[in-house]
Amino acid sequence: MYNYEWDRLKTWLDQYGALDESIISPQQVTRLDLSGHSLKTLPESFGVLSKLIALNLSNNKLSSLPESLQNCTHLSNLDLRRNSFEVLPYFLGELELRSLNASGNKLGDVSVLKRCPHIRVLDMSTNLLESVDTIFAHNNDLQTLNLSSNYIKDMRAAFGELSTVVRLNLSGNLLKELPQSISMLESLEEFDCSDNQLQKIDEAFFTLDVEKVNLSSNALSTLRLYELDSLEEMVLDNNAFDFLSMDESFAPHLREFSCDGCALEEFLLPSSTALELLCYSSNAIKIVPNAIERYTNLKELDIDDNEIEALPDSLANLSYLNTLYVNGNPLSEASKKIIAIRNPEICDMNMKTGIKILRASEEDLAQMAELLSVLFAIETDFSIDYAKQYAGIKQLHAHEGADLLVAKDEEIVVGMITMQRLISSAEGGFVGQIEDLVVKEAYRKMGVGSRLINKMRSIAQEYDYKRIQLAADVDNANALQFYNRRGFHKTHLSIYHYIVS
Amino acid sequence: MKEKQEILAMEICECGQKSVADAIEIFQDTSLPFKKAKKLVTECNKSCCRVALLKIYDMQQFGRFDYDEIAYVIEQRLERLKRLGGEDA
Repeated sequence: MYNYEWDRLKTWLDQYGALDESIISPQQVTRLDLSGHSLKTLPESFGVLSKLIALNLSNNKLSSLPESLQNCTHLSNLDLRRNSFEVLPYFLGELELRSLNASGNKLGDVSVLKRCPHIRVLDMSTNLLESVDTIFAHNNDLQTLNLSSNYIKDMRAAFGELSTVVRLNLSGNLLKELPQSISMLESLEEFDCSDNQLQKIDEAFFTLDVEKVNLSSNALSTLRLYELDSLEEMVLDNNAFDFLSMDESFAPHLREFSCDGCALEEFLLPSSTALELLCYSSNAIKIVPNAIERYTNLKELDIDDNEIEALPDSLANLSYLNTLYVNGNPLSEASKKIIAIRNPEICDMNMKTGIKILRASEEDLAQMAELLSVLFAIETDFSIDYAKQYAGIKQLHAHEGADLLVAKDEEIVVGMITMQRLISSAEGGFVGQIEDLVVKEAYRKMGVGSRLINKMRSIAQEYDYKRIQLAADVDNANALQFYNRRGFHKTHLSIYHYIVS
Repeated sequence: MKEKQEILAMEICECGQKSVADAIEIFQDTSLPFKKAKKLVTECNKSCCRVALLKIYDMQQFGRFDYDEIAYVIEQRLERLKRLGGEDA
């Protein structure tokens, strides 16, 4: 039977390329992406898509939805991000939505949510919500709730309806306290309440089983930290504390703790020996206690911009410490020696500023050829021959499918990387072959290599390369670790050479 | 829709008096993580322009700038400041 409504809707959808060519009936449409078309309205006939499961309407100019959408009884995933809704349509309550994203609208009225108990993932961030006291259904299934960047002043009543929430984001609101009712958040694992106006945290908060907490950029002046037995990460940055203390009972499994810009004069020592990251940057700390040696797993220590003259000898014993920020302290020569002994992979004290990543020019080629000698001295498969290196790099520079980048400190080339375009039959398109990544010894551990490879990755993205690949000397442990950390995966292939002439 | 040059000239941080173009240049010239690189732009510890700067930092890391997105985030923040009448500034 001819379906006039479907025929009209199909014509409308086709103009946005939303339908696959194989679709011939409305029952075949289960997912639709109509994002980013500046749509102001949708056709009334939308309801014929009775099997629709997921609908993406983000980045349009919609302020209402066709009522017939309530016929889409299978619709469980609705994306309304960045539209112009002031009120959520009432008939959403007739659907069994599991996921609703209405971020970036002008919503002040979301009362329909009271009739949506099955939603598990709800994003209401960047709207005009002032109160959420009565919006949640009783016995709802909410697991992930984002209410960030609204104008909410009080969560006292709302917390009672959020007992199943695992991830809660309340950042960028106007909350002044975390009330006693926060104890109702029995399932909470991740909690972001940064960028509010918190002055007070009820004792009930410290009984939660939360694993990650961000309370940065609030107005906390007094805080005693204790219990929070499951806590692994805590950020308290940018609170002007008059008093901050930690009990022995505080967070026995804590791995990351940050208290940046908190007016601290004392270096507090969390009791957890599992600590991997500790940040007390931009405070007024004068002494780093010798007891820091208890953190045998510590990988990153950030104590820059304090008043520290002397570092404890025990710092040199932290064998996992690979990142250290200490600039902006009046460090003694003895302290600098301790850092030199530890020799962390990344240390701001050794970093030079003003190094630029640029496309190689004709004038850089001679320096690049010289720099290759540094690389070939490490890679046993190659021997150093400046004339060949210069000829090769010159040829590469002139080659259409090649990209050459240099890191320059003023006029000196301190690092380089090249990429050549290849065709991969496995990928069915172009891939990039990365080679010649090398940084001068004196400029290592400053992130120059990372910047070179990041820039080359972005060039590969611009070209739409399917993959980038590289070969590294199996004996060059530093290089292998470097590539691993940047998301390169080791393949099962080995490289074979056959000298032709 | 704003032009690219117009967006590059938009002020992103009042504290450090930096434009979008300034922020991009500072981020391109450093290998510091965001938390530290942000301070190079803002010259302070405040978090008012954090969201917009984090977007730019990530875009710089991935090598693709979405200027409309940058403009959107800055305008959102200005609208919020206006709505709060300086209360949250």
